[in-house]
Amino acid sequence: MVDLETIRKKAKEIVSREDVKHLIGWRKGTFGYRVTPYWVEAPEDAEELVYSPLCNTNLATYLTLAEKLPLPKGQEPDRRKTALLVRGCDSRAVVQLLTERGVDREQVVLLGLPCRGVVDLRKLKDSYPEDNEVADAEWKEDKIVLNVSGEKKEIPREEVLDDHCLVCRYPNPVEADETLGEKVEPWAEESHPGVEELENASFDKRWDFWEKEFERCIRCYACRNACPMCYCEDCILDRLNPTWIYRSNNYSENTAFHIARAFHLVGRCVSCGACERVCPAGIPLGKINQKLVKEVREKYEFEPGTDPEGVPFQASYNPQDQEDFIL
Amino acid sequence: MSEQFEPNIVAFLCNWCSYAGADLAGTSRTHYPANLKVIRVMCTGRINPLFVLNALQQGADGVLVSGCHPGDCHYMEGNMYARRRFRLMKDLLEYLGVDSRRFHMSWVSASEGGKWKEVVEKVVDEVSEIGPFEQFKREKINW
Amino acid sequence: MSEKVLQKANWSSFVQALADARELWFPVKDGPIYKFAPYSGDVDAGLEEYAYSSVPPKAVVLPQTETMFLYQVGDKEISLPEEKKEKVVLGARPCDARAMDIVDRVFQWDEDDPYYLENRNKTAVIGLACNEPFVNCFCTSLDGSPGSTQGLDVLMVDLGDKYYLRSVTDKGSRILGDAESALEDASGEGSQAEEIIKEAEGKIKRSIDTEGIREKLEEGWEAPLWDEVSRACLGCGACTFLCPTCHCFDIQDEVEGFDGRRCRMWDSCMFGEYTLHTSGHNPRPSRKERTRNRISHKYRYYVEKFDKIACVGCGRCITSCPVNIDILDILSRVKEEL
Repeated sequence: MVDLETIRKKAKEIVSREDVKHLIGWRKGTFGYRVTPYWVEAPEDAEELVYSPLCNTNLATYLTLAEKLPLPKGQEPDRRKTALLVRGCDSRAVVQLLTERGVDREQVVLLGLPCRGVVDLRKLKDSYPEDNEVADAEWKEDKIVLNVSGEKKEIPREEVLDDHCLVCRYPNPVEADETLGEKVEPWAEESHPGVEELENASFDKRWDFWEKEFERCIRCYACRNACPMCYCEDCILDRLNPTWIYRSNNYSENTAFHIARAFHLVGRCVSCGACERVCPAGIPLGKINQKLVKEVREKYEFEPGTDPEGVPFQASYNPQDQEDFIL
Repeated sequence: MSEQFEPNIVAFLCNWCSYAGADLAGTSRTHYPANLKVIRVMCTGRINPLFVLNALQQGADGVLVSGCHPGDCHYMEGNMYARRRFRLMKDLLEYLGVDSRRFHMSWVSASEGGKWKEVVEKVVDEVSEIGPFEQFKREKINW
Repeated sequence: MSEKVLQKANWSSFVQALADARELWFPVKDGPIYKFAPYSGDVDAGLEEYAYSSVPPKAVVLPQTETMFLYQVGDKEISLPEEKKEKVVLGARPCDARAMDIVDRVFQWDEDDPYYLENRNKTAVIGLACNEPFVNCFCTSLDGSPGSTQGLDVLMVDLGDKYYLRSVTDKGSRILGDAESALEDASGEGSQAEEIIKEAEGKIKRSIDTEGIREKLEEGWEAPLWDEVSRACLGCGACTFLCPTCHCFDIQDEVEGFDGRRCRMWDSCMFGEYTLHTSGHNPRPSRKERTRNRISHKYRYYVEKFDKIACVGCGRCITSCPVNIDILDILSRVKEEL
């Protein structure tokens, strides 16, 4: 794993470079188990960086989220680089952005960190309710150590880790300018969380399950905004003239929204789990996206975010693609 | 005695092969079920998989996408992309509980009027078995 | 004003009596969250485990999607949807009810909004006082309280083995009258309820002194603070959808063939498209302007127009923000830095 002081020192170094504008990392939140993304601009600010199993935002979203506003006449745009703390899934998101030309490799500096999984706050809050005290956490072999006001609690990893992290096959950054700490041994092989159960159910049972989930959706678009791969300025799901999906909230439109979004992520989803974590209605989005990740991997042997020189999945084809479903 | 359920099926046909194939079936005076509502597109590669979704939402009971055989696409590779996309769209729909018999894809070339008849018969048979699509159909606006 | 007591053993008959007289809206557990939904007849549903609903009961008076009218394309006539029924909301928290009161002012401002007002006037609210505040509550800083009665028709307090009910308005008295069979007269439970509420007030940990915020927001319009606090924002809209005082909406037409309907649905000022003009110009082009606008709307513009802060301190925005953008943190920085 990696030591916090090492990260802070490295961050200071990077931010002191002339060609780097800022470094995006995490800092302690304002209550409970929260952690908030933090922009380090001056070297002293690096002292506030934290790195723990509570860091559950995918920072790669911010590469494409920053708006490029028109500048006053005569003012030159700031072309300095953005530095980013990346773990396995974050770096895969950045690599996928590179293959799609969403981001220029020259514009980012990646500081790689190994990761042993982040905590799913919902699972944690069930057994260890959140308090106003800002808590800390750290990885310790196969346990997560939670530190609340000096009191330490050791919890087995399997109980509180995010479903996506439990089956993560890329805990180490796949692309980084510099990687800190020691590499972590991957702990998972093939499985995709929660997908088998629905795969083995009948069509009716599947729809029963999904209908209830989609009815709960409040169309807040948090999933879309948190996803590092959803960065279209003019999202099709918001579009008017033509209106693909009406904005009213009912099971028909909600279902269409989720199907459309899942489809747009085929061959692009990097399984970071951000969508499922941010959903205020608790919809198990991982189950849909992971199913498609599984299909793409098994049928087309393609994994998004692993090859910076790769070609996007839906913009390519293989003459030998399977046709067993075609009449 | 209830009426036999007549499914409403939307078919996206590529202009150069499948549409011409269907045309040939017509000029040969072949008899085949009239449940298909055909939408002609220039190539299956043009078809956005969200069309399938939209069709289902608007009340189609089944959707058929038909194009040129791989290697014969008028635009070289449009049907190759379509093959990938619709494979995954079908998987996605099935995973969410939409019966696999509602969405079909076929390769029908301009000379295959006979095949077209078979494809249509098969699709209509399968969709009739399942019944009308109610899962995420838009509610009728009650005027 | 009448005071009654409801033994918890009589809970189901109370609920049934309410449901018989009006359409009853109840907090229902839907997956991992609570939402207000029409009572389904499940008599075992109680308020024991209910903390607060993720989606506030504003969804009852300002539905997420509301049909305004129906029409036929090409025709000049419109048809109105069904008349709304009398409703009663059971289990709203006092902050949610205060929020409804705050939102009422906007919909009765220059013009009366008939859709909202029909809903609001036909809805009675039975509030459940908070015995325990939640992690991010700060209602006491905003003239609120775990036992506030503003916006409520009846206030209910959980006394352990029974509930104490007190009607606040005439409508509330009528509702208690409808459920008379399940209720007994109160005898001294009122003071016990007062105690519990006072205790709950003391347990609220977070606070903000709102003195001078309005002026500071005006002066600090161009401060770099806004860049810093809005950087992490994803523009997702969860805070606005779950906020009980947020009331922005969008109006869209939906057409199927020749049948059309015009609906009103929730919108969010945090979405980029919210202020996008047809010309392509966007006066709030980035998340910085939108965050600044949201805070200013609640703590400055609303104060200037209605002399009330449009925030009730429920803390949902803080709890639901995926990147922990904390309104109390921003406000204390506004006070210190601007």
